[in-house]
Amino acid sequence: MKKKNYINWTQLAKKELKNNKLEILNSKTPDGINIKPLYTAEDLKNLEHIFTYPGLNPYLRGPKATMYSNRPWTIRQYAGFSTAEESNKFYKENIKNGQTGLSVAFDLATHRGYDSDHPKVVGDVGKAGVAIDTVEDMKILFKDIPLEKMSVSMTMNGAVLPVLANFIVAGEEQGVHQNKLSGTIQNDILKEFMVRNTYIYPPEPSMRIVSDIIEYTSKFMPKFNSISISGYHMQEAGSTTAQELAFTLADGVEYVKCALAKGLKVDDFAPRLSFFFAIGIDFFMEIAKLRGARLLWSKLMKQFKPKDPRSSMLRTHCQTSGASLTEQDPYNNVVRTTIEAMASVLGGTQSLHTNSFDEALALPTPFSARIARNTQLILAEETGITRTIDPFGGSFFIEKLTDDLVKEAEKMINEINKMGGMTKAVEKGYPKLKIEEAATLKQARIDNADEVVVGVNKYPPDTKEEVDILNIDNTKVRKEQIKKLLVIRKKRNEKKVLASLEALKNAAKKSPNQTNLLECSIDAARNRASVGEISDALETVFTRHRAIIRSVSGVYSSAFEGKEGLKNIKLQIKKFASKFGRRPRMLVVKLGQDGHDRGAKIIATSFADIGFDVDIGPLFQTPNEAAKQALESDVHVIGVSSQAAGHKTLVPELLKNLKKQGNKDILVVCGGVIPPQDYKFLKDKGVAAIYGPGTNIPKAASDIIQLIEKKKNIAA
Amino acid sequence: MIDTLYKKILLSDRLALSKAITLIESSKLKDKNKSEELIKKLYKKSGKSIRIGISGPPGVGKSTFIETLGIFLTKKKYKVAVLAVDPSSKKSGGSILGDKTRMEKLSIQKNAYIRPTPSRGELGGVARRTRETMILVEAAGYEVILVETVGVGQSETEVAEMVDIFLVLLQPSSGDELQGIKKGIIEIADLLIVNKEDEFKNEVMNTVSEYKNALSLLKKDKNTFNTEVLRCSALKGSGVNEIWKIIKKFQLLGNKKGWIKEKRRQQLTKWMWDDLQKNLFEKIKSNKKLTLEFTKLQKKVSKNIISPTEASKKILHHYIKNNKS
Repeated sequence: MKKKNYINWTQLAKKELKNNKLEILNSKTPDGINIKPLYTAEDLKNLEHIFTYPGLNPYLRGPKATMYSNRPWTIRQYAGFSTAEESNKFYKENIKNGQTGLSVAFDLATHRGYDSDHPKVVGDVGKAGVAIDTVEDMKILFKDIPLEKMSVSMTMNGAVLPVLANFIVAGEEQGVHQNKLSGTIQNDILKEFMVRNTYIYPPEPSMRIVSDIIEYTSKFMPKFNSISISGYHMQEAGSTTAQELAFTLADGVEYVKCALAKGLKVDDFAPRLSFFFAIGIDFFMEIAKLRGARLLWSKLMKQFKPKDPRSSMLRTHCQTSGASLTEQDPYNNVVRTTIEAMASVLGGTQSLHTNSFDEALALPTPFSARIARNTQLILAEETGITRTIDPFGGSFFIEKLTDDLVKEAEKMINEINKMGGMTKAVEKGYPKLKIEEAATLKQARIDNADEVVVGVNKYPPDTKEEVDILNIDNTKVRKEQIKKLLVIRKKRNEKKVLASLEALKNAAKKSPNQTNLLECSIDAARNRASVGEISDALETVFTRHRAIIRSVSGVYSSAFEGKEGLKNIKLQIKKFASKFGRRPRMLVVKLGQDGHDRGAKIIATSFADIGFDVDIGPLFQTPNEAAKQALESDVHVIGVSSQAAGHKTLVPELLKNLKKQGNKDILVVCGGVIPPQDYKFLKDKGVAAIYGPGTNIPKAASDIIQLIEKKKNIAA
Repeated sequence: MIDTLYKKILLSDRLALSKAITLIESSKLKDKNKSEELIKKLYKKSGKSIRIGISGPPGVGKSTFIETLGIFLTKKKYKVAVLAVDPSSKKSGGSILGDKTRMEKLSIQKNAYIRPTPSRGELGGVARRTRETMILVEAAGYEVILVETVGVGQSETEVAEMVDIFLVLLQPSSGDELQGIKKGIIEIADLLIVNKEDEFKNEVMNTVSEYKNALSLLKKDKNTFNTEVLRCSALKGSGVNEIWKIIKKFQLLGNKKGWIKEKRRQQLTKWMWDDLQKNLFEKIKSNKKLTLEFTKLQKKVSKNIISPTEASKKILHHYIKNNKS
């Protein structure tokens, strides 16, 4: 009977396909997983996990026995607005409107351990998050917010010691003992070396800091998650789903080993490890990923022989994908975010951030933030989605996909184990290169429309929708912060500050088993030592990390093999080269403390693949340094990649420096997250062109060549 | 234009120097003529630097070494120029420059000038351009020129033939791996440097003595510098002082005994012959009257009707005959 049904179906399907083979309906994911048009009970054969229950090992169906049927996920919107005062206002507003947890975004200067008055961060203060220099800022941030009740998540990895120390002291001075504080600190440094680059120290001392924090929180802060092991930024940087899963869990294993090496017992800290995943637009895959992650984590933890069941239980926060948002037709992003939020919930997340539709351009406005929050409220309270646990459990397709994905991830984890673990793999640059390769391929798929993005490479809108954007006056924020710093430095007991910083340095020099750096940092924070001062003290011992940056080549063009896509642009470059005696030459730079280098790397490798000569600037370059490099290499054009809103300060600075150094010929173009409202400002300053998210690379390259020729003709 | 460039380069103007190097790198005939004019004018103002070639296998830490040495030298108030050649892709013709050779800290020094150049897959082209570029940077007042080669093989010899002193960086390793590469490297290197002593102290010591042993087996020539083996940590900066001392010693001795002059004299004549060879080749190949003949011969060779050497003799014969009439 069963077999007969199947045969009947195949025959019918073939007929609908006009006698083509059924296999033409199969497709492959970027990870190489085969997706069939139909899954049946056959596919569930040998899958042990379909007989498991939520709340019980391996937790595939959820970490809690009752899941949302008892209590829905935590709605946790991530936000940080330039100053502590404004962020505080925003948080209180959100709490009033139904938000149940806080999530703090810090500005880039804080991330990298610089005070607001540091000359290197002129363009970064107050951008992409709140500026925190001392405990006084932290106290303003949480003014009138009861820290014993509100769980606070903090996205901090680089300057994790001073920031967590400030948080603890802020609680203390609010009258809340540290053992009452609940929330999460991201504290996931390994992924910083792979994708986001907001590290300060080299991998080894950075791992020591991680384990010190795990140790401290496990002893004194029982309600606080010591780490949020994040795949989010990997997917944002263009990783495949299996890569995100594998690298994140391999990071997790590495942290466990690191804490064990410090002498902790696995059950003392493992229950407080939490995870953080991105949820993209690939709906079923994302559901499978969350289910698979729980299964895989419980498997991986077996080697450490935990006794507490919670040690093998993966709990996660999710955020909808920022990379899936588009600048073109921005209201489509509301729809994308809704679909992604559904996938997160169907996958069984513990908390969720939904992006605002304007986040491809800037920080959210109160309006866009409300829509984003309401997306979750509607899911939780209108749809009935919370009534049943793991609604996709038993689905032929999802169960098989979960298994396929786990197997794919296991292969990668084995690869990393062979290298001696994640710290070693990161030092070799292996995961970073793998992710960049995947990102470049993804870009190529979008550029040649193999992957559809509505409103971008298909069905583009006729008119451009202008969206209201929140504008931050970075200069003003910086001035205010500097003023506050001056006051604090005058008022504090300088002797005490120096003594506590000296104690911190000494602790850093000692063996990790004798001291705890968080303990020393709390002392320094109490004495009003600043984030920059605490970071500097550690830097004198640990040094500042400099990344070895490698780039892939030939990957982008490989996706165009046998296609017309690059033919015209290659011809155009050939003509250019014979006319001007060399190929178009471009310097790709990132300015300031913005470490998101996916865009810059993709531009560099794809332009080189197209036929440009491409110079790459180092991370964290100043405008003056970039101008010097451009001039020495005598490039035609500088491409500035900006993701963190520093463009309004840093790009004019670059143009000024170019002029100062005598150069009149070099064009400057910008790309990345730049709100259209700023286009005029930048163009008035002398920027030749601006390319937003979703730009087609061969088109942009052709445009840039024309701009160079135009400039040359005027000059000649 | 050439006059302005000439004057500005002598004043060490960074922009003019960059523009002039672009002229040298240009494939346009017009630019080439201009750059020749410029070289002619600047030629007498050049030659005052010490030219250092730096090579070594990928991953040995060349750029870190150059950066550390460069910073060490700028601190001593030297003006330092770094010329690096990066490979162009054979497929796209494009290139990623300064990716592996990026020197973050050195590049921001006032007294440093760094110019990465795409190789463009042109045979012998790299050598011509680098030689000419060296003349420009010397005229602009740079006292130390560091020429980096990327990769191994032919470019290594090319660079060795245009510098005063040739350094080869080596990985610390266990004894038996060395045998294969020893001989070739020792023949062209003036200074062998084993890097990464911060991380692999024992291996570095072993490697140094391995090479020293190998060197002792070679015949020594009293009139030239005997290859030395040193160790360093490019990352931490140890050993750099000692390396610079040896380079200075090399320069002092070389000037005293005249071998640097001799080396440069040889390099100049070689340059002349190289240039002649290249020009002659270009002349023959671009001779329009003979195009038909060349195509015919090429066909015959590819079909194995006549041998390549026979055909090349015929081409030469045709060219000479054609030029006579």
